[in-house]
Amino acid sequence: MQAIHPLPQNDALRRALGISGAALLALLPLWLWLIWRAPADVQQGAIQKILYLHPPLAFGAYLGFACTALCGALYLWRRAEHWDRAARASAEVGVLLCTLMLLTGPIWAKGAWGRWWTWDLRLTLTLLLYLVYLSYLLLRAFNEGSERGARAGAVHSIAGLLVIPLNYFAIDLAGGRSMHPENLGRGSLDTGMGWPFLLGNLVVLACFAHLALRRFELAGLQAALARRRAGEAPWPT
Amino acid sequence: MRALLAVLWKDLLTEWRSRERLSAMGVFALVVVVILYLAAPPPPGAETPQARAGLLWIAYAFAAVLGLNRTFALELENQAISGLALASVERGLLFLGKALACFPPLALVWAGAALAFGLAFGVDFRPVLGGFALVAGLGALGVCGIGTLFAAMAVRSSHREILLPLLLLPLLAPLLLGCARATDALLESGALPWPELQLLLVTDGVFWIVSYLGFGAVLDE
Repeated sequence: MQAIHPLPQNDALRRALGISGAALLALLPLWLWLIWRAPADVQQGAIQKILYLHPPLAFGAYLGFACTALCGALYLWRRAEHWDRAARASAEVGVLLCTLMLLTGPIWAKGAWGRWWTWDLRLTLTLLLYLVYLSYLLLRAFNEGSERGARAGAVHSIAGLLVIPLNYFAIDLAGGRSMHPENLGRGSLDTGMGWPFLLGNLVVLACFAHLALRRFELAGLQAALARRRAGEAPWPT
Repeated sequence: MRALLAVLWKDLLTEWRSRERLSAMGVFALVVVVILYLAAPPPPGAETPQARAGLLWIAYAFAAVLGLNRTFALELENQAISGLALASVERGLLFLGKALACFPPLALVWAGAALAFGLAFGVDFRPVLGGFALVAGLGALGVCGIGTLFAAMAVRSSHREILLPLLLLPLLAPLLLGCARATDALLESGALPWPELQLLLVTDGVFWIVSYLGFGAVLDE
């Protein structure tokens, strides 16, 4: 039977994982309780409570894609492998959160607008953003393990950032012809709605951090294992 | 600067001698226009140019992807791309040479496609020729800029023919949005819409700056 050799552990990473996991466990029940207590919307009823999940998921997706570009830029600057792993982990979690946003959006749309989907500029650009980052993952998959693929991915993620401001300002670009409400500003939520909304963003933030760190850790372990298998690093005795 | 002119001259001369890219893109654009006509023929007697501008830009985008796939495919022969990557010149200049060399064939093909499109769909571009040339020129500049970068990215990966459209088309969407809307407005009112022109200028600027700065990272061995 082959011996199991322990792979290197990173103490700072373990601590960050512990903090993000604890934050998630602490915030999640509080957030659900606040959603339960939040007043129901007069016109939309209970379906409106998806407000506390859908925009925070959009925030998480934007954050994931912004982190991908930032870590990509740092990789191009420092050429350290861990920045590339961080970029890829952020992209994967960003795509996951964007998928959830694109699933929760139609549920809300069916309740509020009476149909699952409309080719509104904000919706179309969100779908486009999703496709940009899916193509990033494909680019990485087609250049698996190569440094050139990492560099190309970094440049692609920086170029892909262009769609984020375009998506954010889509309502203005559509000149009032969008079905989406305007971007939320201070005072646009009723009493009792602000806290669950804020907490929703914090929960998504903790969730993003925890999942991205887990993926980052896993990618590090895979890289360490690959180095050992290739004979570039010694197996511990 | 000499490196830029050398790459530009080399690419234009290769294209002029073979005319491979030009003929492939031209025929393909024509095929797309014909297919669009068959799939969505204009209703008899209807005057709806605004619905058609989007179709023209679809034909333009597909033809451009086909041409851009050849930009670096040629460099793979005899490992010429390694020679480019090893050349001791600034990578941004190599990018400018390659991207500018894409512009003339693309502009020629797009002009021909506009003619075919006008005949098929009954759209008269003559009254708005200057404005349309400006919009198409800005569109072609953006396509050549980001397209050259992505062609360099895709050329050495597995599945390069599939990868380039997957990378390029989603990011071209803001540019195509601006171009189609500007063409709509031109055909409808004869005036150039400033917000769409701003979108095109900003998109072109971002594409060229990112491509100029990122080309070295993509090209290096």
